[in-house]
Amino acid sequence: MLKLKKINKKLGHFTLTNVNAEIHEGEYYVLLGRSGSGKSQLLELIAGLKTPDSGEIWINNKNVTRQKIQDRRIGLVFQDYAIFPNMTVFGNIAYSLHSGKLGKKEINQRVSQVAEEMNIAHLLDRFTQTLSGGELQRVALARTLVTSPRLLLLDEPMASVDASLKDDIKRTLRQLNRKGLTIVHVTHDYREAISLASRVGVLHNGQIVQEGPPKEVFRKPINKFVARYAGIRNFFRVKFHREGNACKAHCKGNLIFNIIDGSFSEEGLLLLKSDEITIHDSAPEQGHDNCFRGIVREINPSEYGMEVTVDAGEPFYIDLPVNDLKMLKIKESSVVWITFPKEAGIVLPGTG
Amino acid sequence: MFKRNSFNWILMILSSLVLLFILAPLAGMFLHTGGTELLETVGDKEVQRSFWLTLWVSFAATFIFAIGAVPLAWLLARKNFPLKNVVQGIIDLPVVLPHTAAGIAILGFISRDGFLGKAADTLGLTLVNNPAGIALAMAFVSLPFLINSARDGFAAVPERLEKAALTLGAGRSRVFFTISLPLAWRSIVTGFVMMFARGMSEFGAVVIVAYHPMIAPVLIYERFNSFGLKYARPASVLFIIVALGVFILLRLVSLRKKETNLSPDAEA
Repeated sequence: MLKLKKINKKLGHFTLTNVNAEIHEGEYYVLLGRSGSGKSQLLELIAGLKTPDSGEIWINNKNVTRQKIQDRRIGLVFQDYAIFPNMTVFGNIAYSLHSGKLGKKEINQRVSQVAEEMNIAHLLDRFTQTLSGGELQRVALARTLVTSPRLLLLDEPMASVDASLKDDIKRTLRQLNRKGLTIVHVTHDYREAISLASRVGVLHNGQIVQEGPPKEVFRKPINKFVARYAGIRNFFRVKFHREGNACKAHCKGNLIFNIIDGSFSEEGLLLLKSDEITIHDSAPEQGHDNCFRGIVREINPSEYGMEVTVDAGEPFYIDLPVNDLKMLKIKESSVVWITFPKEAGIVLPGTG
Repeated sequence: MFKRNSFNWILMILSSLVLLFILAPLAGMFLHTGGTELLETVGDKEVQRSFWLTLWVSFAATFIFAIGAVPLAWLLARKNFPLKNVVQGIIDLPVVLPHTAAGIAILGFISRDGFLGKAADTLGLTLVNNPAGIALAMAFVSLPFLINSARDGFAAVPERLEKAALTLGAGRSRVFFTISLPLAWRSIVTGFVMMFARGMSEFGAVVIVAYHPMIAPVLIYERFNSFGLKYARPASVLFIIVALGVFILLRLVSLRKKETNLSPDAEA
């Protein structure tokens, strides 16, 4: 459906370099990247607001790199929605329809229809200054959808919405995608990718460094940057070696991890997801693949409940629900044991 | 609220002195002008002709030059191009030039030996000592006020709004007229008022281009030179009243314009 072929674009202090991507018809593609990584600029290139220095953009087997914005039939919803403040909600949604040869009756009909779908029919006569973030988001979507785009580009659509409204927006986006609309969504939040994407691409240093279904990308990140995007905070620089049939990873803090078998280079990074580590307030029974004794250094609130930092020669970050923490009765300076299965370790060979 | 500490007292005293410096001469002039003299001046045909000429020529100059100045302001706000700073400097040049020097420059341009003068001459039009020449002199010294205000207005319009309109299928000119212009309208009208007011009060450049027909500032100068302070004062007071009246009226219109921008029909 959409093909980006070796897109290069110098943008101020950074450059998009050889960006290649292929997005299929009906796909929900989430492009992950830090703020300032060029995600929004890539969307503007696809929409036609900017022209690449080199490379090509193809839509439905047609090269549209030099095609006018107005002829591309691509909808772009901006991060802050870019709602026209000098118009009512109706005026905003009808804006694109005034460019064509539609009669007043048909314009009214199409605006009403899309407003119903977006649950904003009651707002049509309102000016936009008094609307909430969620309402503005819906107006922006309606204004774009009324153009019947063949591709919808979303620039950080959840960034300016209250947490309570995010689920509503996600539901709406899923519905649109289910109806067959191809969506490219850029964000810095991996959770949006997990809950929405059929495929995810990670943009780093102006390049898409990893691509694939979200579960695969987050289970097997190819480097530390992607791993951070998967919410992983436990990184250990290790040296790999074999002891008989077992595979071990030696950490400089004299920790030895049991890991899954694999053909690794000499050294690399071992990654552990916080939620795969179990914390015990007394020495656990034997039989765990990995078990370390440590001291609780910090306990802080986190989005999952509480985050416990345990010093076991190396710092381990462990997420716990608040109730689990209460049951454990641990506090700062408590002695604890942490365990995790060898399958929990994600190995990144090399020094990257 | 303003706290009564020593620093604030100093600020208040210094501010009051500056305001007094502006208001005292004006108040003195008003106090020294009797009602009878003022009424006589109002009835004076020469004064009436002069004031009317000043108002319409300044308005016409502002209106005509706005047609080119507003798009230029948009370019300055939105586009980067080689020598942009030089262009900005050229626009601000009339503000720093001595106005008599500006008048000389304009005169050279519109006299029969000048480029524009020659062109006008072929059409049987003389620009020197003509309202058209006065309009050019007024515009020369007052254009920066409109361009700079409109440029700031356009710059304050988020570029994303224009981009959003483009992605919705609008052409560049439709984006300009439905998004950029309505959202920058208040600054443009403010600039319009400033240019009009500045043009109306111009003396130095106009007196060199056209002593006759007399615009109000030239008339006041002529009365002062010929008859002294006492005879120049009523015309001055009257001109200040007219200028203030027009200034307030246009400001009110500009405020109302802003409300109009937000009406439901603004887009259609």
